[in-house]
Amino acid sequence: MSPVFRRVRRWKICLLSLALTAGIPSGARAQEAPYFVTYDHHPEEPGNLEIAIWSTVGIPRGGQKLFFAPFSEFEYGVTGRWTAELYLEGQATSGDSAVFTGWRLENRFKPLKREHWINPILYFEYEGLNEASKILKEVVGSAEISAERNAELAAVHAHEIEAKLILSSNVHDWNLAGNFIVEKNLSLGEGFEFGYALGVSRPLSKLASGKECRFCRENFNAGVELYGGLGSTNGFGFHETAHYLAPVISWQVSDNSSIHFSPSFGLTDVSYPVLLRFGYSYEIRAFGSKVARMFGGKP
Amino acid sequence: MKWGLFTLISAAALLLAQNINYQQDAKWRAPEEAAAKKNPLAEKPELAAGGKKLFKRNCVECHGDSGQGLKKAADLQLPVVQSQSDGTLFWKITNGNPDHGMPSFSGLPELQRWQIVLYLRTLAQQ
Repeated sequence: MSPVFRRVRRWKICLLSLALTAGIPSGARAQEAPYFVTYDHHPEEPGNLEIAIWSTVGIPRGGQKLFFAPFSEFEYGVTGRWTAELYLEGQATSGDSAVFTGWRLENRFKPLKREHWINPILYFEYEGLNEASKILKEVVGSAEISAERNAELAAVHAHEIEAKLILSSNVHDWNLAGNFIVEKNLSLGEGFEFGYALGVSRPLSKLASGKECRFCRENFNAGVELYGGLGSTNGFGFHETAHYLAPVISWQVSDNSSIHFSPSFGLTDVSYPVLLRFGYSYEIRAFGSKVARMFGGKP
Repeated sequence: MKWGLFTLISAAALLLAQNINYQQDAKWRAPEEAAAKKNPLAEKPELAAGGKKLFKRNCVECHGDSGQGLKKAADLQLPVVQSQSDGTLFWKITNGNPDHGMPSFSGLPELQRWQIVLYLRTLAQQ
């Protein structure tokens, strides 16, 4: 099989996977914020499983290449204060190849029981990735996207740990969220890398109408994100780091599925000029109970 | 005859499905200030229809279609629930009781949470 044919076939597989996932009956939780990068303080509901497919498309400027980086997410509410997530990700670059770029396992803990003015969440993630990863789920360090070929990048494996302090608040129906990120590549002798994400959003309607409707304002949630790298222990700050400003919108299509969209605009020379992000999520309610019942356990 | 049997079985099923043994978590209490809050939508009962839609979307998985309570969740028709003030129910929806399976719905706009309270009041009349 020629490399060209293999490349075309991989693109087709990527697109087919996307199409199949989009075919699942569709809306997400009513209270889900529309962010792609920023986390708020709302955990997954206990026992629910959210399956989502997200994509980041990098629109290049001179010397850069168009890329398409899809990733799937499996988010499970272990308890009312603990959410665990598994991510599987890949990437295809124009004029290059499509590669699997690794997996991530993340956990979020809500230390406080009740709602407060500011609600902290503690976040820990382990990443088994290679250097070809381009989903930009978070931006840390200088966050420059490498122009090297996928074959070379995919050969370099990285084991990384990441921690975030998530602070989030609901004020008059607005959600305000800020994340401070620290990441350490265990495979290389690098220092710690830092990043941030800030988000503000609100539903387009305060009241729910009595009728069933897909296009009512209450089904839409809109906002804006600002995220970027803050350098590393070798040089903390904004110098030569990537930053993005991104309007975000989500549409709850049905009771348990939603569609998200965001164009992110690069603010510095090392940023990609535009990142288009879109995603679809479907929530399986009481997934844990359903699985328990299948094996004869108590739901 | 068939309809009578059907009604009898339905009533028995409903009774068996109800979580009448529900015990309140004694530690899950709204602060006095929160409990005293009035529902700003109390004079607009027509908005309960929106509350019903939100209830269907967010609550039926645990509380059942008519709030009868499933699993460990409360039977919302019971006097022990209905006797609580609007402010208390609003506070419980907002904060949840995460260690006992009730999530927080603070991400819903405030008025939508009050709409749910409005709808919960209609369950007592069922």
